[in-house]
Order: sequence, then C-alpha cells, then structure tokens
Amino acid sequence: MTDWLIVLTIGIPWLGALAVWLTGDARPQLQHRLAVIFAVAAGAAAVALLPSTSSEVALRIEVGSIFGDFTFVPDGLGVFLAVVASVVGSLAVIFSVDYMHGEAQLGRYYTLVLLFIGAMVGLVLSGSMLLLFIFWEITALCSYALISFYNDDPKAVAGGIKALVITQFGGLGMLVGALIAYSYLGDYQISTFLAEADTLPSDVLAVMAFGFLAAAAAKSAQVPFHTWLPGAMEAPTPVSALIHAATMVNAGVYLLARFYPAFEGVSGWTTAVILVGMVSALLAAFMAIYANDLKRALAYSTISQLGYMVYAVGTGAIFASQFHLLSHAVFKALLFLAAGAVIHTVGTRDMRQMGGLGKQLPFVRNVFIIGALALAGLPFVNGFWSKELVLEYGYKHGPLWAYVGMLIGAGLTALYTVRMVWMVFFGRSQKRGHLHDAGPAMRVALGVLAVGTLTSWLLIGGFGEMLEENLPFHHLHVESMATLLEEVVTAPATYLALGVVAVGLLLWAWRDPLAMISAGLWPLGEAATHDFGFEWLNARIVAGTRAAAGALRTTQTGWLNWNVAGIIGGLLIVLVFLALGA
Amino acid sequence: MTTSEIVLVGVLALLGAGLYGLLITRNLIKVVIALQILVKGGLLALVAAGEASGQTNLGQSLAMTVIVADTVVAVVGLALAIQARRLLGTLDLKALSNLRG
Repeated sequence: MTDWLIVLTIGIPWLGALAVWLTGDARPQLQHRLAVIFAVAAGAAAVALLPSTSSEVALRIEVGSIFGDFTFVPDGLGVFLAVVASVVGSLAVIFSVDYMHGEAQLGRYYTLVLLFIGAMVGLVLSGSMLLLFIFWEITALCSYALISFYNDDPKAVAGGIKALVITQFGGLGMLVGALIAYSYLGDYQISTFLAEADTLPSDVLAVMAFGFLAAAAAKSAQVPFHTWLPGAMEAPTPVSALIHAATMVNAGVYLLARFYPAFEGVSGWTTAVILVGMVSALLAAFMAIYANDLKRALAYSTISQLGYMVYAVGTGAIFASQFHLLSHAVFKALLFLAAGAVIHTVGTRDMRQMGGLGKQLPFVRNVFIIGALALAGLPFVNGFWSKELVLEYGYKHGPLWAYVGMLIGAGLTALYTVRMVWMVFFGRSQKRGHLHDAGPAMRVALGVLAVGTLTSWLLIGGFGEMLEENLPFHHLHVESMATLLEEVVTAPATYLALGVVAVGLLLWAWRDPLAMISAGLWPLGEAATHDFGFEWLNARIVAGTRAAAGALRTTQTGWLNWNVAGIIGGLLIVLVFLALGA
Repeated sequence: MTTSEIVLVGVLALLGAGLYGLLITRNLIKVVIALQILVKGGLLALVAAGEASGQTNLGQSLAMTVIVADTVVAVVGLALAIQARRLLGTLDLKALSNLRG
C-alpha cells in the first residue's frame, strides 16, 4: 500500500508532465486543466502518505552491480517535505492558471513545473544516496529551465545558467560524499551510513561532512553560494514561489537535517553550519533592506530565513528547523504569489513605482499583510512560533555570539518587511488607471495559503510526534503541543526577540527623524546594493575560467595524429601508475 | 613459446601497428586501414582472454559483436572518404579538419 502511494506521489506529477506536453500548445485551456488536476492529485497522494510513515524501506528497486538498491523510505522527515512540495506546488500551479493566462508555450512551462514537483518528492523520499543525488540533479535541471523560461530575455537565460552552475558545483560535493560512503561501507543506503558513520576514519568523515555542507549551501542559497537566488527572480512568479517555498531551496536544509546525526561529531562542523546560517541571515537581511525590486527583496528574505533553518540545524534543533521550514514554505509561497498578483496587475517589479496599491487591491493587501506578519515573526501566526522555537533552542544550546547575530537578524527582518508592505500598499499613491484585483484562481491559491499561515502552527504537536517516531538516528524528544506552546510563550527569549522585532518596527516608524543616521550608514547601503562583493567575486571566477579555457584552446588542434598521441600518452601514464602499484 | 605467449605477441604487434599507423598517417583511407588492424588486435585479445578465463563462449560472442560494429565503422569511414574526395578533392586530414579550437 505504502509503496503504491510513493509511486503515485512521484508518478502522478511526472505523468501529468507527459500529458500536458502531449496536449500541445494549441489547446491551452486543456493544458491548464490537466496541470491543475495532476498537481492536486499528487498533493492528495502525498497527504495520503501521512498516516503510513515508518522508518522501514517501503519500496526497493534492485538496480544491481555498483548502483546498489534504489530504495524509498517514507519516514516523518521525508513525507513531511513531500507534502510541502506537492501541496504548495499544486497551489502554485492553480495560481498559474490566472498568472500564465494567454502566455505562449504553456506546455513547456507546466511540464517542467510538474517534473520539478515529482523530482522534489523523489529527493526527500529516497533512501539511497545515489538516488538522492539523481533526483537532486533533476531538480537543478528543472530550476535552470524554469528560471530561463522567458528564453528570449538574456537576463533570464543568464540567471538560469548561474543557478545551474552553482548548484552543480555543490552537487559535486554530495556525489563525492556518496562515493566515499560507498567505498568504505559498500552500500549507498542512508540508514547504513547513519548507523555506521562512526566506523569511518575521522578525516574521511570530515571530507564528507563539509562536502555535504557545500552541497546544501549551494542548493539553499547560503553564503557564499547565494548569488543565484536573486538572479532566479527573472522566472515567472509562480516558479519563484515554487523554488523558494516548495522545492529547490528546502532540499539543502533537508540534506543537513537528514545527515546531522552522522556529522554532528565532526570537529568544527556544527560551528561551520551555525556560521554559514548566521552570516547568510544577516547579510541577506541587509540586502533586503536596500532592495527596491519587490521580488528581489523577497528573494533576500528567503536567503535570510533559510539562514535561520541552517542555524537551527547547527545548534541541533532539527525539529525547530523543520518546523520553521514548514512555516516558511507556507508564508513565503503566500508572499510570493501575492507579489505575483501585484506585479501581474501593475506591470512593474520596482517598489518605488507602486505605493498606495492597498485601496485598489484590498484582497491582495490583506493576504500579503498576513504573510508579512509571519515573516516578521509577530504573534500569533505560524512564523512567530517557529522562529521563536529556533531562537529559544539556539539560546539554550548554541553559542551566544550566534544567538545575538540571529536576534539582530530578527529585528532587521521586521524592518525590511514593514518597509516592503509600506512601499507597495501604503504611502503615496501613483496616478494609474483602474486595476483589477486578483482573479479567481489566484484567490483560491492565496486564500488557502493565508489560512495556512494563520493555522499551520496548530500542527506542531502531530508534526513533532511524526518526526520523533520515525527518525531512529536523530534521537529527537519533542514535547507535546501544549508544552511546546507554553514553553514559547513563557520563555524570556521570546520576549527578548519580540522586543528586537519591535525595535525594527520602530526604526521604520521613526525613519524621518533617524534620516541623519541612515544617511551616515551609506557605505553599508552601498555594499548591500552591490551584494557585499559576492557578485564581483562571481564575475571574477567566471572571467578566470574563461581565460583559462581560452589558453587551453591551443591544445585542441583537431588533428587525428595529435589526438592519438594524447591517447597513447594517457594509456602510458595509467600503465606506469598500475606498474608502481599506486 | 606457448600458445598464449604467441597470441600475446600477436595482440601487441597488431595493436602497435594500428596505433603507429594512426600516429603517422594523414590519409583518410590509411586511417581506416590502421583502425582495422587495431581492432583486429583487440579481437584477438578478447578471444584469448575468454579462453584464458575459461569463458570461451563469452569471449567469442563479444568478438562477434565487435566484428559487426567494426565493419560498420569501416564502411562508413570509406564512404566518407569517397565523398570527401569527390566534394573536396582531397583525402588529407589536415586539410579536411575543421575542429581546430
């Protein structure tokens, strides 16, 4: 039964991808309808998996030889992320019916979106590192193709290629790790690795741990690999919501959480994870404060919130990090889709040209504010509970410097969130004609997500139980719902964090009297708008690679004799190595 | 010399001759001939290895497969050579090459 549900959860979106593709672009109505049907069915299949979670292998495909067995394990962590991917994904698809109305090449769009959702589900459910890597690369490929969806726009194409290159680079770290595990343990199974990680030499385990950290940082857009995420904003907005909330970026945090028990003993690893999370959270928050592009500001806020999750994993708070992932997936999808509705009607992404839209788009304004409350961590929406849980655990079990950094980050988050809301929906109104509020399909998706943002924290108890029961290597002890909520409400850390958030809000309210100070901070603003030099570093690396490639071109003579000489030379080198017994 | 030693010398001689041909020639027809010699060395090695490891059938059936592929290579290569001579008037690889980086 469970094995069939797994096949359905991965298979339905992929089948849907095929169906939409075969329908052809001549019948767009049918394409919309098919995509929605398949996406919703996949979401339903994933939800149906919830009662049958277990840490046992539910589906085993024997591939044989060096590939080992491809297994699927429906444990709490995997099923939870599968539900997030397919449910939030299906809402993004529903939203697309209005957003992509009248666009050309819908077949390509929906096919890739459905393929993306299916691959993400496969990624989180797979129990073999090699299979995990395969799904990992499929998601990278889909994100590349979707970011470059408007392929006559050079910026979109560049953004897609950047995303592909950076995530591939991280993926290499993961492949190396998987191969090392195989060469020592003779098995790709994650459960085998988690059980026997202690038997590996400590330096080898360290290579794996940092390889996986690089992979996760690249996928989850953490410093220094974060530059691809703002570039990914050229994609259609539902795709941005999909990448930011449902699929892509969650994979990195998932990877860290999944392998945490094996790597927690590696010296310096948890500190490195905390550091990556904190630096990402802070730098991205600064960049969000200075961003004028609505989607870009949201993209930076994603990097920042992912920083919180990575930080939580580093402090050992697996449950808190995954709970924040759930909250973030819901409210960030809401924010992105609401932003999409705004951009769709106004026709620009520049917040300076928006202003005063609240009266004309009341529905979008209301849901956007709900999402913004969650992002800022204000009571009592889902972002509040999860962020407080992360901070509380970090205060108790993490280093103090990191906790202080994350607190400052929370204040900055409140500041850029209120700035965003103000610039888009309030403030001075621009002269413009009559605007249409969101269409029916958009309202369905936004409404469901808004209700989710208000209520998803009620799942905390059941979610905790699910993780506790099915993750034998993580040794999680999750309290009951009432205890957890009481803990958050009574902890002094919560009020400290709320105080910092209030300071962030006040900074915005007093922005005019404080103008002197903010003017004095211009070097910071200058650095933030230039991505703190990381874009420059990227450009240097690309230029260096191109120069090296240019220099190496002379070896490509195109002459047969020369190539044969090269082959013989290579053969000789291999023979010498073999003869020396290396 | 035992049989296997004779076979080994044959394999090395054929492989050497083929590689040497590929190294020095620029004539497309001669390249095809050198490739043929090279592959014959490989075939002999396959059959001998099958024999030595006690899997005669496997070695010989693999050799059969290689013969089929090898024949296709020869036919296509020679057809290309004829077309190149007809259309471009030369068989010199250096003149035909468009692959310089």
